[in-house]
Amino acid sequence: MSLDLRNTHAEDEGTVLQKRVDRRRALGILLGGAAVGAQALSACSPVAPVSDEEREAKLLQWQEYVKKNYRFMSDEERVDTIARLERLANIKHNVDVRIQATPAQPGVMFGYAFNISKCKGYRACVEACINENNLDRRAGTQYIRIFEMEGEEVNLDEADATFQHEVPAEGHFYMGTQCFQCADPPCVKVCPVGATWQEPDGITVIDYDWCIGCRYCMAACPYWARRFNWAAPEVPAAELNPNQHYLGNRARKKGVVEKCTFCIHRTRQGRLPACAEACPTGARVFGNLLDPNSEIRWVLEHKRIFRLKEDLKTEPRFWYFTD
Amino acid sequence: MSRATIASTLGIVCALVSCNADQSDEVRALPAAHEADSTALAIDTMAVGRPGGARAPDTTDHIQPGQLRTVATAPVMNWTGPGGKPFEVQIRTEDPATANARRFGTITLRNSARRRSPDLGQYPCTSCHLGRGMVLRDARIKDAHQNIKPDHPAQTGATCATCHAADNVELLALRNGERATLDHAYRVCAQCHFSQAESWAGGAHGKRLDGWQGRRVVMGCADCHDPHKPAIESRTPFRAPQLKRPPYRRP
Repeated sequence: MSLDLRNTHAEDEGTVLQKRVDRRRALGILLGGAAVGAQALSACSPVAPVSDEEREAKLLQWQEYVKKNYRFMSDEERVDTIARLERLANIKHNVDVRIQATPAQPGVMFGYAFNISKCKGYRACVEACINENNLDRRAGTQYIRIFEMEGEEVNLDEADATFQHEVPAEGHFYMGTQCFQCADPPCVKVCPVGATWQEPDGITVIDYDWCIGCRYCMAACPYWARRFNWAAPEVPAAELNPNQHYLGNRARKKGVVEKCTFCIHRTRQGRLPACAEACPTGARVFGNLLDPNSEIRWVLEHKRIFRLKEDLKTEPRFWYFTD
Repeated sequence: MSRATIASTLGIVCALVSCNADQSDEVRALPAAHEADSTALAIDTMAVGRPGGARAPDTTDHIQPGQLRTVATAPVMNWTGPGGKPFEVQIRTEDPATANARRFGTITLRNSARRRSPDLGQYPCTSCHLGRGMVLRDARIKDAHQNIKPDHPAQTGATCATCHAADNVELLALRNGERATLDHAYRVCAQCHFSQAESWAGGAHGKRLDGWQGRRVVMGCADCHDPHKPAIESRTPFRAPQLKRPPYRRP
């Protein structure tokens, strides 16, 4: 038995010495070994007793520190990191989560249309979004803002996103904003570490474990669609949505940026985003832009439409329309 | 302990851990998430082995597109959707209770217009009426239809018989003499509200259920609009955002 283990060890060492692994992986092996060694030593001392679970969590965390960017992971590495994240959630917060890695469907480009004649400002979409995406309850993070505007003109300078009276108010209309999943996203261009990118189905996503929290993307976004976690997000265990996606609503950390992903964990399974499903007025239309028989295409072809700040040429995939 | 001993100890522990990791990952399967040609990157996280044992099956996971089948439906008559394709309208009259009990993952449509289902307390009509206006149960006479203030037809000087068939309480009467069931009330509405009906058929008005992919199921007119009082009433919104954007100042 011991002989076998030593052989395995020798193989590992050999791999490292022959530089058949990259720097990150080698660092991971060394750090992992050091962490376990430290744990083993502290386990021997009577001063600081450490439970098996804590030791396991430490090790998993070390392995998490040295993983790759999600885009460059192999299938095996993705499965491994998801297993680690699920186990860590179980150990640390005693919750069972399921993290998907569902890829983009071929021939799908998501688009969104928002009917400003229909929206009544109930904010049902906001509530659904908070619950679905495990948004920080303590900081009150929201992806969606609903603006109340007077008269018939879109004037976001004068708009109020903090109304708290009975809606709809006489002589006002409502307009919701969120991440528009631009076709030419300025946020992606400025990221210095490649932690955010556009997926084949048009959703701009973030690898929360690769983000360094520089917030360049927040400065670049002309729509204020991104949110920064000044503290680790807090979600009551009873309200946690266990149905998660690696690039979507899984647990975020302190110091990383997050944003709307059109509910990537739902829409890639053919379901509607939580906001569209919760809207009681039907003001939200979601679908596949590449399908000529989709509802969104019908809206774009038959209704009067516009996009926000179109002159910036960010090409949002989010249109506003009127009846 | 010499350095060499420490190093070898570390190595052994390292190897132990990697062995364990391999064991925990031995259950690994990669079935297609959606279609056969997307298998290249499909990773089924459900199949990843975990120390805690097997997971309880969850029906909200890995729904095939168009296979949600959470709504009872009927094909829409006389209208076609985008591209001339037929679509379906949800049925509410057969079992309003179950239709309303639907949950969308962790979301409950607490404030949704779909709450009207339990309010259809006087359905089915045959619980009181038998044939032509006969009342079976006296206990229900008191509240029968007294809560209905027909604001909507009243504006146009209409009466009950404008929409309801006088000879059969279960049916609605169209202007051309045809009959429609309550689930196809959109046929009655579309007689006057033509542009709304057109938008509804195209997808700009109304609300789609059961996902964006696969069969198209929409809510009918009366699912949101009370036919006797179609205007949507005002109410208090969900709480205002606590996170405010700092005011933008031009440099």
